[in-house]
Amino acid sequence: MNYWVQRLTASIMLLLAVSMLTFGAMNLLGDPLFNILGPAAADTKPESLEKVAAAKELYHLDRPLPERYVRWLGDMVTGDFGVQFSSTGQPPVSDLVVERFPRSLTLLVMAQLLASMIAIPWALITAARANRPADRISTINSFLLIAMPNFALAVILKYIFGIKLGWFPLTFKATDPWLTRIYQTFLPALTIALPAAAVYQRLLRTDLITTLQEDFILMARSKGVSRRRVLLRHALRPSLFSFITVFGINTGALIGGSLIVESIFRIPGLGSAIVEAILREDFPVVLAIVMIITTAFVIVNVVVDIVYTLIDPRVRR
Amino acid sequence: MSDTITKRLGPLFWLAVGWLAIVSLLALFAPWLPIKDPDSYFLVRGERPPYSPSGTHWFGTDQDARDMFARIIYGARVSLVIGFVAIAFGMVVGGTAGIVAGYLRGRTDKVVSFIFIVFLSFPSLVLAILITALLDRGLVTIALTLGVLAVAPVGRLARATTLAYADREFVTAARAIGAGDRRIIVRELLPNVVIPMGALALLGMAVAIVAEGGLAFLGLSVEKGPTWGKLILIGAGSRELEKSPWIAFGPIIVLFLTVLALNYAGDRIRSYYDVREIGL
Repeated sequence: MNYWVQRLTASIMLLLAVSMLTFGAMNLLGDPLFNILGPAAADTKPESLEKVAAAKELYHLDRPLPERYVRWLGDMVTGDFGVQFSSTGQPPVSDLVVERFPRSLTLLVMAQLLASMIAIPWALITAARANRPADRISTINSFLLIAMPNFALAVILKYIFGIKLGWFPLTFKATDPWLTRIYQTFLPALTIALPAAAVYQRLLRTDLITTLQEDFILMARSKGVSRRRVLLRHALRPSLFSFITVFGINTGALIGGSLIVESIFRIPGLGSAIVEAILREDFPVVLAIVMIITTAFVIVNVVVDIVYTLIDPRVRR
Repeated sequence: MSDTITKRLGPLFWLAVGWLAIVSLLALFAPWLPIKDPDSYFLVRGERPPYSPSGTHWFGTDQDARDMFARIIYGARVSLVIGFVAIAFGMVVGGTAGIVAGYLRGRTDKVVSFIFIVFLSFPSLVLAILITALLDRGLVTIALTLGVLAVAPVGRLARATTLAYADREFVTAARAIGAGDRRIIVRELLPNVVIPMGALALLGMAVAIVAEGGLAFLGLSVEKGPTWGKLILIGAGSRELEKSPWIAFGPIIVLFLTVLALNYAGDRIRSYYDVREIGL
């Protein structure tokens, strides 16, 4: 119990630190007035100055930084991300997030599912044939895949499956029915999934090979359990630890990579939203998305811990 | 002696090092080499660019009839400098912080470790976008931004390695004969921490070069001149890929081989010195 309280405190501290860092950096380095008012922000004419003063008051920019931070934090905790820093302030940031978030989530979930679906059978097959030619070739392949930058892989997959073979569409329409959109998301998801699958396969294969040398595997085999059943029923579960840890840690890295993949395949998700917002110096949008990404990261890590205790009763305290 | 080293590092390692040497030398001496001017337009009368690869243009030309081979070499200048400066910054700052934290422990360690965790849990690309968008997009800014991102991973490795060595007999012995903290850190700990960090540096350089490409795809890379990321981006549109795939694939192949060589060399050095991944 004590352990979970500690975990929770650390997570909250982390979220506070990230939010302060982002909030501080954006406000010290950027100037949102230009985006709200346009060229008038730099004018010295009396009517422009009036506008600037009005905008400052409306968006609370005339307040000291700590006060603005606390105000923002209070709103955010209650689920209100504030207004956009644009001429109209519409739509509210929360609406934008609600519109964009599901697309990014779908992409990420699909990518991780694909990665696991590729990695687990791949690892099982190579572990069963460890150090034979098939395994050697697969090791080289996974090394190549891990070194491949995601944008390069995106271009290659787009070229082969989108243009040469024409199997997948190269556009994403938000108005299409969801099954079509899933189909349109497949290629970007595969781009994210392939290198991730290679990482997972390498880990899982090593752990499987270690597990296969244990006494209980020999025991099962000598009882007459088939090789296939030993592999699936006896060896897989105790070998899943590092896989699950890295699966969690990797989610954070994949979120970063998906920003680029989203922009190459033109999926209007959180990735494109944050890039646009940063270029416009639209602070509330950037803050909202950074907080969502970091929170997701923290949650995934806690879930990984919980799954640990489910797989291995020994970890329960 | 050199024979055994060759055997254990393997011929592929030297192939990787060779490739890195060739790319670096070409980049370094680009202005004095007999290659085409990367910014000239080699228009051929009656034919519309882009031109496919040929004897005159080994890697073809882009939509403006500029020579891709020359542009890739000039792009290497920017991409390699970014990779090198970024990881050098990460090594100096992260390495120092990590070793000091691992050696002193206590409160210093707690604070430094927490800072590392904050940076590691921040999606690094978001941080890079944030800094490059708010500051300018010069070579130095982007290289240093990626350097800041390298601080936490390098620092964590340095700290973990230091922790593993700080209690060993030779450190205790040094302290027993009256060596101060500074001397122990520089003379006893640093030589042991440098090798795993060197392996990580090669991997980190690859990461930084790839990160530049990622920034280019978001429109946030170095503004002036070609970089590998920008070259790939120019050829990555659907129409360009269909009509003139060589524009994207030339730089992709060079970039990929370079990243692969860095990864492989780093990997080999790590297993050669039998460095375990302590606490990673």
